[in-house]
Amino acid sequence: MSENAAIKILICQGTGGVSMGAKEVEAEFLRVIAEKGVDATVGKRCDVIKTGCRGLCANDVLVDIITEEQGRVTYDFVLPEEVENIVDEHIVNKTTLEKRKAKPYYNTFVDQQMRIVMTGCGQINPESLDAYLAEDGFKAVEQCVKQMTPASVIDEMKKSGLRGRGGGGFPTGMKWSFCAATPGKLKYVICNADEGDPGAFMDRSILEGDPYCIIEGMMIAGYAIGATYGYVYVRAEYPLAIERLQMAIDVCYEKGYLGKNVMGFGFDFDLRIKKGAGAFVCGEETALMASIEGERGMPRPRPPFPAVKGLWGKPTNINNVETFANVRHIILKGAEWYASLGTETTKGTKIFAVTGKVKHTGLVEVPAGMTVRDVIYSVCGGIANNRKFKAVQAGGPSGGCIPADILDTPVDYDSLIKAGAMMGSGGLVVMDETTCMVDVARFFLNFTRDESCGKCVPCRIGLKAMLDILERITEGRGEMTDIDTLLEMGTTIKKASLCGLGQTAPNPILSTIKYFRHEYEAHITDKRCPSNCCKELLLWQVIPEKCVKCGACLKACPVDAIKWEKGQIAELVKEKCTKCKSCYDACRFMAIE
Amino acid sequence: MVNLTIDDKQVTVAKDATIFDAAKAAGIRIPILCHDKKLHPFGGCRMCLVEVEQMKGRLIPACTTPVTEGMIVRTTTDEIMTARKLVLELLLLKHPLDCPVCDAAGDCDLQNLTYEYKVNANKFTDEKFRWDIDYENPLIERDQNRCIHCGKCSRICDEIVAFGAYSFVNRGIEAKISTPFDEKLDCEYCGSCISVCPVGALIAKPFKFKARWWALNKVKSVCSYCGTGCQLTLGVKDNKVLTTVYDEDQGFHNGQLCSRGRFGYQFINSDKRLTTPLIKKNGTLVPASWEEAIDLVVSRLSEAKKSDPSSVAALVTPRLTNEELYLFRKLFKDVIGTDSIDHSAGYAHKALTEGLKESFGITASPSLIEDIQKTDLLLVLKSDAYETHPVIGFEINLAVKRQGVDLRILSDKSGKLTRLPDAKKYIHKPGSEILLVNAIAKSILDQNLADPAAQSLPGFDALKSALAAVSIEQISAAAGVPVEAITRLATDYAKAGKALILLPIGLGYPGHGSELTSALANLAILTGKLNKEGCGILILGEKNNSQGAADLAIHPTAGGRDAGAILEGCTSGAVKVLYIAGENPVVSYPDKAKSVKALESGAFVVVQDLFLTETAQMADVVLPVKSFAEKCGTFTSVGRNVQQIRKAISAVGQSRSDREITAELISKLSGAACGGSSAEIFTEIAASTPGYSSLSTDSLGDNGVIYPVVITPKLVPVVGVVPETEEGKFALLIGSSLYHCGTMSRYGEGPMLVCGESYLELGRTDAGKLGVSEGDTIKLKSAAGELNLKVKVGTRMPEGVVFVPYHFETSAINSVTAGNPVTWVTLSR
Ligand SMILES: Cc1cc2nc3c(=O)[nH]c(=O)nc-3n(C[C@H](O)[C@H](O)[C@H](O)COP(=O)(O)O)c2cc1C
Ligand code: SF4
Ligand code: SF4
Ligand code: SF4
Ligand code: FES
Repeated sequence: MSENAAIKILICQGTGGVSMGAKEVEAEFLRVIAEKGVDATVGKRCDVIKTGCRGLCANDVLVDIITEEQGRVTYDFVLPEEVENIVDEHIVNKTTLEKRKAKPYYNTFVDQQMRIVMTGCGQINPESLDAYLAEDGFKAVEQCVKQMTPASVIDEMKKSGLRGRGGGGFPTGMKWSFCAATPGKLKYVICNADEGDPGAFMDRSILEGDPYCIIEGMMIAGYAIGATYGYVYVRAEYPLAIERLQMAIDVCYEKGYLGKNVMGFGFDFDLRIKKGAGAFVCGEETALMASIEGERGMPRPRPPFPAVKGLWGKPTNINNVETFANVRHIILKGAEWYASLGTETTKGTKIFAVTGKVKHTGLVEVPAGMTVRDVIYSVCGGIANNRKFKAVQAGGPSGGCIPADILDTPVDYDSLIKAGAMMGSGGLVVMDETTCMVDVARFFLNFTRDESCGKCVPCRIGLKAMLDILERITEGRGEMTDIDTLLEMGTTIKKASLCGLGQTAPNPILSTIKYFRHEYEAHITDKRCPSNCCKELLLWQVIPEKCVKCGACLKACPVDAIKWEKGQIAELVKEKCTKCKSCYDACRFMAIE
Repeated sequence: MVNLTIDDKQVTVAKDATIFDAAKAAGIRIPILCHDKKLHPFGGCRMCLVEVEQMKGRLIPACTTPVTEGMIVRTTTDEIMTARKLVLELLLLKHPLDCPVCDAAGDCDLQNLTYEYKVNANKFTDEKFRWDIDYENPLIERDQNRCIHCGKCSRICDEIVAFGAYSFVNRGIEAKISTPFDEKLDCEYCGSCISVCPVGALIAKPFKFKARWWALNKVKSVCSYCGTGCQLTLGVKDNKVLTTVYDEDQGFHNGQLCSRGRFGYQFINSDKRLTTPLIKKNGTLVPASWEEAIDLVVSRLSEAKKSDPSSVAALVTPRLTNEELYLFRKLFKDVIGTDSIDHSAGYAHKALTEGLKESFGITASPSLIEDIQKTDLLLVLKSDAYETHPVIGFEINLAVKRQGVDLRILSDKSGKLTRLPDAKKYIHKPGSEILLVNAIAKSILDQNLADPAAQSLPGFDALKSALAAVSIEQISAAAGVPVEAITRLATDYAKAGKALILLPIGLGYPGHGSELTSALANLAILTGKLNKEGCGILILGEKNNSQGAADLAIHPTAGGRDAGAILEGCTSGAVKVLYIAGENPVVSYPDKAKSVKALESGAFVVVQDLFLTETAQMADVVLPVKSFAEKCGTFTSVGRNVQQIRKAISAVGQSRSDREITAELISKLSGAACGGSSAEIFTEIAASTPGYSSLSTDSLGDNGVIYPVVITPKLVPVVGVVPETEEGKFALLIGSSLYHCGTMSRYGEGPMLVCGESYLELGRTDAGKLGVSEGDTIKLKSAAGELNLKVKVGTRMPEGVVFVPYHFETSAINSVTAGNPVTWVTLSR
């Protein structure tokens, strides 16, 4: 029974998988295999391996079975009760259960991507140091320490063109060089795993699926800048990520990969997890450091930049999880290889968290420079429910909207900024024709103004004042001057705010006014919401021409305010209606206004 | 230096300057709301935004952005104006426009900027906040509805006061400054937060509705409480001092004050002030004319002078000005011819007048207040240094928190200082200070850490042989401090690049006398930590002019009676006339019975005071004097700083200054005219007082002048005595409460609102054992007497040790103490 020939059963156990019952599925595989003596039957060892997330969480529990004969076959939506059948048929009888196989779109979804950062995720057991070592784990740091000077490591990073994945897109090599250039015996490396953007979960997935690669990335940074102490700041809402990372750190200490004289290389590196309190703004680097220091997570003015005066006043280098995850690949495969991927100004790949009205939501890693259109249509299967694409919000709550006519914008830092959006942490929220853009702006602004730390005036009061105006508009009480006021204020708030939150929070408003001004005007002058989305402006009636008499609205209405009989056009009884919009959402023919 | 251009002006500034600093240097004003030069950069209000050519696309906060070479800055473009106006409009959207009843009106940065930027309309509308106003705490009215979130209150309380009463809570528009659990403020009431609040969110309750800010006449002076010598500005209207006014440019302390300095001014216009002379007739004090009173005093003094000058004695408070002290000395030593003149119970000045004199040949500290932030290691005797000298406490806070100074505290109890980050405390058994300091000296010698140069100094051999007899182990056992801690402290002190020793003194600290001072001086001399920045020893004199009293020798110098002997002399009949100026022995000297007996003895007693104190009530003649706000003169504070006080109001009632009274007595007794202004007397002082020779009133200016000293170090062996302990009894320590200084602060409304009566403080374990809790009454009994006190339970007191402040006349602790460093007492419910 040679190792190579072993049958591998990979079970996704990211947060998504676990919540869908991956643990139970795993247990069932183990039980069935043991009870039936499958190993003996097929003459091979069956390894049940838990892996990290592979991006398409909507289809969990995902199970890959790799055998010599059938290659890799993916089953999705696997339930514990199906396991026995899968084992019997697929493994013992060597017949693939075609009907239970993941649909072709799963493969398209996977194949259209380019997985560098996420190579380990979904493939290896994140809880096993050996699995990591088998994938050349800690080879990169070894190469750095043994064959390169700190300066040449930084050079390599500079040449690779890697830019920070935390949102700002600052060239990583340059950032390291600043910190390296600051004199000081005590320096810190921080990994920012606060991941506050709602909807984004790539950092979590990496920590859950490949925690060792973060440790290695941080060690390399530590070596390059002369830091011997590291912190990973993880939001407390990520218990599994914390658990896996802690486990990895413990193992590293035990095996001499962390601590004094790591791996016998003669350099020290200590690493510790700091749990974040969960405020969005704590992801901002200076607020994050304040939070580690035990202070309230409130941004501090820069300069001084962390590289000069960071954590506890010491030179500090802070990078995002995804940034650190890139590092070992760059060292192992070389800066030139990395620089050959992507566009002129954005190298390598970027992971996006695609959500909203798209067919397949999830994490996708694509080469920088792929167009937004390709991400949405080729990778994620296009718009759900056959509705019309309207826009995509790129860059998280303070990103901007990209309308249909510039869908061919490439996903790289500069093109997105030019389009009025941004890369941010890589959130893409896809919106269809039922989405009101004023409401979208209101929604995101409501998030950012809630999350404002309250330190600086433009953000603390300005966002609230803008929100008040947007609410007025969505309720039909807007005035035409409001649009200019929003534009002026938004521009000033961006320029005047202290930290990135305030500096970007007006983006959703500014970009929706830029591309969808007519929707604002319709709300103000016609007192109508063109997308029939803003409750206050709905007429609460069925449009007879559009109604196909399907009765979906009747089922959806919780208060019996719909009258419908087979073959009849539905009717909405206004007196009973509580304006909950269930019927509106249920109607696939946009027949309610 | 860095060169840059601001609004087309070339500016050259230090490289750590911000754009704001540079603009200020160039005479360009950039508006600020949240910036304060004393505090760490914050960058919250965004009022100071400017444009920088090299940083296009954003507006740059001038207050946090350091200058760089070649920077081109614009401070008033349209875009900047739009942004600043937006900031103001947004602030005004939430800020209540209750300016007509706001105490800050006129002194409000928001109001002033709104006016300057002509923000007369608001394009937004919103509801105002409805936070509850804290009316509950005694001194500070907190109206968070007016708060503009500059964070200064929380920052100053954290960074400088190191109390940490406030923090930001909540997020977004709901964010606000809060106290723990949003309860009423309960802090040390220094008022620093009020002083920096740019709006009326924090106001001084005692000043509420007293006067509009612009109606106040502002007079610069010096605080008349402790020896720190904080400068202050008195706010005067209708001949009344109504408040202290914050001026961030005053003094080394940037205008910060402690609770009593800021809130203790009400004694000036107190209705308890004496307004006419009083003469005792038929056993009661009745109003008299100045003429009658002075005649009586002159006749009694001249009679006594004729029969026996040494039968005249004087107790003169170090709260008087140098000029007054000078005249008093002249009156008693030269005109009458008695050397029996003293103050502070005779012991509270000995650290200066004997200890430093012995060890350095001068009666002043070789070190300065500014050394505190410049040293590497700070050795503080007694955590009470914070309570006795709170603003020096701020300096210690800053030294530790900003400069990373290594703080070591040798103390018989814990306190605010011991809680500072990384402070190392050595809690010892009461009364073992000298032993411990000797042990440190011994350890320095044992470890060969003494400065080679010290070996040739006088006293080295004597000290060495005296220390040879000292056993660190025995001291360790007697003092309750581990041997390793002692030797470690010795090593660290000796090896520190710079080290400074602080010793607070005063009536509450009888143990802090000449021996302890010399023992400490030995450490500095042995290790060569002298005559260098950040090195040496700084004695913290108790009262506003304790240093002046030492400089002017208000103590017996030629065999006269000291304070104790003067009181005994009264009782024995040897002293026939006792002249008391501003001292209150009945309350503030130990052994109350002794003072009372002396005053009842039949000696003719003259008391000059602001109030009819417990002592004045027993006098034959009482003369009303002016407070520091009604006169001119100079005080010499900790670190030898000679500063001017200025007249802010005219005399209360018929009071005269001590200077005027003394001058008249001198004229009448000597027959030669004695007059002259304060300035003229100061010239005489300069001519006759060591160190003062280069000073004149003109040269003192607003900040005063530190007079120079030359020291001649000598090692002085002192013997520490193993403190006796009494089984089953508690060690009673007396001392200063944070809110009081001497007995005068009892006439200040502010201090009394926060701490209005005496108390006995003890630790939780002892409280548990005695079955008492906070607020209970406890009976305290010593060999001398007994007393009931309110209980305060805290974390400061080690087991078996209790503390009582000495300022109060009711439950007067001096009825159970006799002037020993430790009094052994029994406690019962
Ligand atoms: C409001 C705000 C929230 C942020 N949240 C995150 C976050 O959750 N994770 C992250 O990596 N960076 C976040 N950032 C960016 C960080 O400040 C910082 O730029 C980043 O961690 C640097 O890493 P990089 O150079 O690898 O991108 C945030 C910034 C702002 C202004
Ligand atoms: S009065 Fe002093 S101690 Fe109290 S909150 Fe204000 S600054 Fe802090
Ligand atoms: S209370 Fe005053 S000092 Fe404190 S944050 Fe508010 S405005 Fe600033
Ligand atoms: S009492 Fe002392 S510390 Fe307080 S303000 Fe006056 S001089 Fe300063
Ligand atoms: S004064 Fe500069 S931001 Fe407030």
